[in-house]
Amino acid sequence: MPTALTGAMACEVIKLRSLRSTWITTLIAVAFGLALSLMDVAHTANAWPHMTTADRAQFDPVGDSLSGFAFAVLAFGVLGVLGISSEYTTGLIRSTLTATPRRTLSYTAKTLVIGGFALLLGELTAFTSFFIGQAVLAKQHLDVGLGTPGVLRAVSCAGLYLFVVTVVGYGLGAVIRHTAGAIAALFALVYLGYGAAKAVEGWSALPSKLMLSNAADTLGQLHPHPLHPERTPSLSFALFDLALYLALALTCGAWRFTRDAA
Amino acid sequence: MKRPARPGIVMDVIRCEHLTKRFGRKVAVDDLTFEVQPARVTGYLGPNGAGKSTTIRAVLGLDTPDAGRALVDGVPYRQAEQPLRRVGALLDAGAVHPGRTARAHLAALAATNHIRRSRIEEVLALTGLADVAQRRIGTYSLGMKQRLGIAAALLGDPPVLIFDEPANGLDPEGIRWIRSLMRSLAGEGRTVLVSSHLMSEMALTVDHLLVIGRGRLLADVPITDFIPAGASLEDAYLNLTESAVEYRTEGTGH
Repeated sequence: MPTALTGAMACEVIKLRSLRSTWITTLIAVAFGLALSLMDVAHTANAWPHMTTADRAQFDPVGDSLSGFAFAVLAFGVLGVLGISSEYTTGLIRSTLTATPRRTLSYTAKTLVIGGFALLLGELTAFTSFFIGQAVLAKQHLDVGLGTPGVLRAVSCAGLYLFVVTVVGYGLGAVIRHTAGAIAALFALVYLGYGAAKAVEGWSALPSKLMLSNAADTLGQLHPHPLHPERTPSLSFALFDLALYLALALTCGAWRFTRDAA
Repeated sequence: MKRPARPGIVMDVIRCEHLTKRFGRKVAVDDLTFEVQPARVTGYLGPNGAGKSTTIRAVLGLDTPDAGRALVDGVPYRQAEQPLRRVGALLDAGAVHPGRTARAHLAALAATNHIRRSRIEEVLALTGLADVAQRRIGTYSLGMKQRLGIAAALLGDPPVLIFDEPANGLDPEGIRWIRSLMRSLAGEGRTVLVSSHLMSEMALTVDHLLVIGRGRLLADVPITDFIPAGASLEDAYLNLTESAVEYRTEGTGH
């Protein structure tokens, strides 16, 4: 049914797929995530017979098969940033808003298309990486199936984390309206925030528990057995983290998008 | 492109009512009231910083006025359903992503207003871009980007058209082309508003003039009434706007 929203969403789909940067960023995100995860599990599978008990205790058949995404997540975030910041840096936003002058409509359409793409891509790559990892681990009979308690949660949450970081990048792009600035802020939030939160742990462990990367560690592993439980959020706290970042990014982005002077 | 003049033509009117827009302490547009009528080309003139672009941005809903309002067919642009079918606008040639092809750019815009795909090929042919439509816009010259902006404005076959400095970067053939395009659009009964600094070009193109300076309306007259006998549009324009020039080069006499 052709409505204003479907029209605006069709526009966003065309815009997304007609840029080389979308394909390159997506390719890098997927390739890096899969390749690094594969190398991690392949190493574990090879080294398993010689590993110490302590090392074996650190092994997580799900978390290890997804470990590459701790780095590839930045490419997901960049995808979100570019989805909106490039409209402002190129001036395209004036064309976009002339075609869909209702700000809430154009923001909703853009959010649904970029968010939907990220969710699909995130889950798809997480499950792909999981199955590749399990195939490798099967050599040492270290693999687990999706039916094992906690596995489905860990894999789907890993995909969810990729989606949330994309949306966080998108929100930062909407607020900052500048590609380099938004990517810098994203990098700080995802990677540097960990160290900053650690530095203030003497006063409070709360900042650490609010860090995206710590939430991802909890959610994306089968048996979270943290070396530092004090800075690691519980499962439900980690889910709350994701929801919090998602809500903040979308709200701030919406607030800024509906401001003047495009 | 040809279409019969529409009955009930009074519809397609751009109307600003006491439009006021400030940027910080500077008043860009100051209590501006005017109407742009169909079936003629209206020239929108004024020195740099006079508020021309701000007015156009307000008409297109890109800026919210501090007071007053801008309407097309009595409705603010932001409330229009399928606005590209009501108003076509060339704002500036830079409102594109250089990484996209012209065809993809137009396809994205067409999708928002459910404009049929074949219309994209029509406007590409009309603006002379059919052969380069698969090239990325970043490789275009300014004149080609300008033609793409005009193609985007024509996409919805709208009864109201706004062109901000359309001759920018166009070669002499292109300038003649945009002139005859605007004349024929007005001849079809459409409303055409064009801003420009090229006085000789305006003298050849427009039927009616709106002149603003420092955000205020200085003239709203048919071009034949604006130019005194024996003078040029340039003379008449410079006389009128002399006191309203915002930025002047050193050493220019008063």
